Amino acid sequence: MSQSGAIMVLGGGVAGVQTALDLADLGYYVYLVEKKASIGGVMAQLDKTFPTNDCSL
Amino acid sequence: MSAQMDNNKENAMAQEGFDPRILGFFCHWCCYAAADSAGVSRYQYPPNVRVVRVMCTGRIDTRFVLEAFKCGADGVFTGG
Amino acid sequence: MYCPKVVVDTYNERLDITSATHIDYAQAIPASYYIDAKECLRLNYETCNLCAQTCTAKAIDFSQKPKKLKLDVGAVVLTPGFGKVDDSVLEKFGYGKYPDVVTSYEFERLTCASGPTEGHVVRLSDHREPKKIAFLQCVGSRDETCGNGYCSTVCCMYALKEASVAKEHDPDLDVTIFFMDVRTQGKGFDEARKRAVEKYGINVVRARVPRVDEIDGRLGLTWVTDDGKSHSGIFDMVVLSVGLDAPEDAQKIADIAKIELNNYEFCQTTPGQPLATSRDGIYVAGAFQGPKDIPESVTQASGVAAMASELLAEGRNTRTVTLTYPDEDTALEAEEPRIGVFVCHCGVNIAGTVDVKAVRDYAGTLPNVVLYEDTLYSCSQDALKTIAGKIKENRLNRVVIAACSPRTHEPLFQETLRSVGLNPALIEMANIRDQCAWVHAQEPEAATEKSKDLVRMAAAKARLLEPLEQPTVDVTPSALVIGGGASGMGAALSIAEQGYKCVLVEKSDKLGGNLARLTWTMDGQDAAKVLKDLTSRVKKNKNIEVLLETEVEAISGYVGNFSTTVSREGKTEIINHGVVVLATGGKEYKPNTYLYGENNRVLTQLELEQKLKRGKSFLKGANNIVMIQCVGSRGDDMSHCSKLCCTQAVKNALKLKEAKPDATVYILYRDIRTFGFYEDLYREARKQGVQFIRYTLDRKPEVLKAGRGIKVRVYDSLIGEDIDIPANLLVLSTGIAPGENEALAKIIKAPLTSDGFFLEAHAKLRPVEVAVDGVYLCGLAHGPKSLEECMAQAKAAAAKAVIPLAKGRVAVAPIVSRVNQDTCIGCGICESLCPFKAIEIVKVGKKRKAQTITASCKGCGICASHCPTLAISMGGFTDDAIMAQIHAFAGDNCGEEA
Repeated sequence: MSQSGAIMVLGGGVAGVQTALDLADLGYYVYLVEKKASIGGVMAQLDKTFPTNDCSL
Repeated sequence: MSAQMDNNKENAMAQEGFDPRILGFFCHWCCYAAADSAGVSRYQYPPNVRVVRVMCTGRIDTRFVLEAFKCGADGVFTGG
Repeated sequence: MYCPKVVVDTYNERLDITSATHIDYAQAIPASYYIDAKECLRLNYETCNLCAQTCTAKAIDFSQKPKKLKLDVGAVVLTPGFGKVDDSVLEKFGYGKYPDVVTSYEFERLTCASGPTEGHVVRLSDHREPKKIAFLQCVGSRDETCGNGYCSTVCCMYALKEASVAKEHDPDLDVTIFFMDVRTQGKGFDEARKRAVEKYGINVVRARVPRVDEIDGRLGLTWVTDDGKSHSGIFDMVVLSVGLDAPEDAQKIADIAKIELNNYEFCQTTPGQPLATSRDGIYVAGAFQGPKDIPESVTQASGVAAMASELLAEGRNTRTVTLTYPDEDTALEAEEPRIGVFVCHCGVNIAGTVDVKAVRDYAGTLPNVVLYEDTLYSCSQDALKTIAGKIKENRLNRVVIAACSPRTHEPLFQETLRSVGLNPALIEMANIRDQCAWVHAQEPEAATEKSKDLVRMAAAKARLLEPLEQPTVDVTPSALVIGGGASGMGAALSIAEQGYKCVLVEKSDKLGGNLARLTWTMDGQDAAKVLKDLTSRVKKNKNIEVLLETEVEAISGYVGNFSTTVSREGKTEIINHGVVVLATGGKEYKPNTYLYGENNRVLTQLELEQKLKRGKSFLKGANNIVMIQCVGSRGDDMSHCSKLCCTQAVKNALKLKEAKPDATVYILYRDIRTFGFYEDLYREARKQGVQFIRYTLDRKPEVLKAGRGIKVRVYDSLIGEDIDIPANLLVLSTGIAPGENEALAKIIKAPLTSDGFFLEAHAKLRPVEVAVDGVYLCGLAHGPKSLEECMAQAKAAAAKAVIPLAKGRVAVAPIVSRVNQDTCIGCGICESLCPFKAIEIVKVGKKRKAQTITASCKGCGICASHCPTLAISMGGFTDDAIMAQIHAFAGDNCGEEA
């Protein structure tokens, strides 16, 4: 059986986005599925992130 | 890392209100990165340095330093 | 803008309003407005339609209906994140009743410069600035009454962050954080905590506040400290550090995907396979696997990518589409420079200090600048589109972006140039944020002047930028994994199963590393079985070659083409490979205190486990067993927290209680850090009667000889005096020390942390990469962690390592030296100085000439700065360009005569 070269990632927060990026870099087609109108999840709501207090966007 | 001060200005430095113009040559990989981190950590320092980014301090030709002084730099900062 | 329907802004945690047609935030991706279907008047009441009529692009189509799509996929990855703790849990603390009791999410929006109050922390009741704020930890975590018995892992750290940010805004603010245990066990977190507490003077009180009351418009708290005394205080604002719950629709996801959940409705996984759900082909990463922070979510995300890539190795590149760029407009590039300058506000990051509009207008006065604009966030998707449009519209052939650091953002803007047919080398950035606005926050005028200077220098350089070739080189499609412990084997197996050859190098005479010394995994599985499974899979895999008793002597080359010299049985051999994975492990810390090594009743946790496995006869007469935590860790010898000793101690205490129920087990601790679901073990240990006694650094426990036995003296804060415990057995939680990483770090030119572990390229976003391209990191070499985390990290490193192998070619940085062989006199100074052997002397006709080996060149420029005939030029950093910057720095003092 020939294998599919596509993968579905459910949830577009930081974990989903990173998974999708890595999979695309590894040579796969990715469907990134997100409920909301934009990706980023909770991380997009954060002002800064510890420990370096970088801007999280 | 080395900082070289123009000798002619040494006396001027002691005077109050001396506001030197310093040209910095920062290595992309270390000093420039460190200057970015200083920003991320919001360290505050005097606004006297203007930066030329180079890929390595090895790139710095003596002519660059001399030209900077010739053009009126009070100091040249090489960081790498 | 025309939408008349006002709705609460959920992005801003309901602290602001927006309209039914809106965009969540400026940098949202995709950067298009959307209509909230639940609120829209047209969709719900068939009135309005204003937006569709006014939209000039005719982009609103109300006839659209939901569609069902069928996707053909080979694997599914679940990353639904976490849910929010129910409001009913927060009501106990006055949330909903008192407006100045807010959640940590709401507080986050209040501290955010782009939030509803532009970063000013105010009370929601009267919009006045609070003077005294209290943070209450463990709201909806470690609390069985709300069904969340686990620890949410991240709240201690984010509360410290929010407290620091608030103190940064208002140094006079009085901030108190009420903890049960300070759980900052992540890499570098303990130090960050210490810095935050010391730098900002945050009060840390160890107590759980049961409720919040309103007293004259302010908030009253009462609490009981360790010594049994009760206290009370009045605060202006209370922040609830709300935990991470399972996603609201966890059960629905589980039903659809047919996977199992654990008792807290998070995804069920095992320590050996932390990213696999109970169903083949469906994987999980991030907070749905268990509460976790950003770096761990990112690590797991890369890890699942590896798992899917293993499963679908044959399907690789069958469905991908290739991004194409328009041809370069070389004619336009060769024209007289037409520079566009874009000055970024970066929200208030730059504009809060620098007068962006003044800098923009100043840019307009510079030679060859034909366009000068300001942008709110240059890096946002819509801004990039606008910039691309402006480049085309104005036929720009050079671009200056005055914003943040080229180190982080230049590639993004280079993409924009490529998308409109310009060579990516034709951009120059002026760093007016990291190296200006942020570091001269108190001197707005000087910062504005400096920004102008930096823009002038960047524009001067931009005039002289030339297009550069974008060379690529072939990749050797194999990996070298250094270290044959659990992480190394995990990484090697994943790389092999993704279809690539892999050499696994191990110093000792057998595989296994620290896993071979472990008796049980955290969930009580037999560690030997996990080890046997891993080693047999490694040995069976045809893609893996194992080299035992082998040491790495030297590594040369670059990503895609490394050449490594290893020594084995006195002989050296050379291995060619495309990538490197560092999995060199760590080691158990061996103390020289507490009579360790002097008295055979004193053991480490690992030694205890080994004894327990052999039988319980050694426990005969052991009525009092004492464990001491943080021996070595969080102290003078090692400043880091070893992360897993608390869980290990609690787990072993339970084993001891099981083997000898009448024994009393004492655990002397500083903070119990049984994060995540490990909290269940801690609660169980308390139920089983394990005695937990907290000690502080200034009153460390003492271990004294008492006849043939030993006794442990510890200060009990509840009764306020020292107590002596006669100990039949003393178990030291000794923690994890770094391995001998210095030599390898030098060979690879990879930096170490101050604790001696390898430093990752970015703490949050690149947790398994090293600053050197093509080198990846996993396991204890990165920092202390459990087997479960090591296995996830090994997969993540494998995913990153396979990326260049799967691509087959890597781009070589275009900043390389080029020799003008007409002026080169073949003196050979450059060849002798090059640290990378990237320049050689060749015969051209009858003459000796220098020639750059492009793929090896790192672009340092030593050759160019020493060439007596100025025959060598550096791409992007030519003599002329740097001289132009120097002259621009001088401004009127020098002129442009050179």
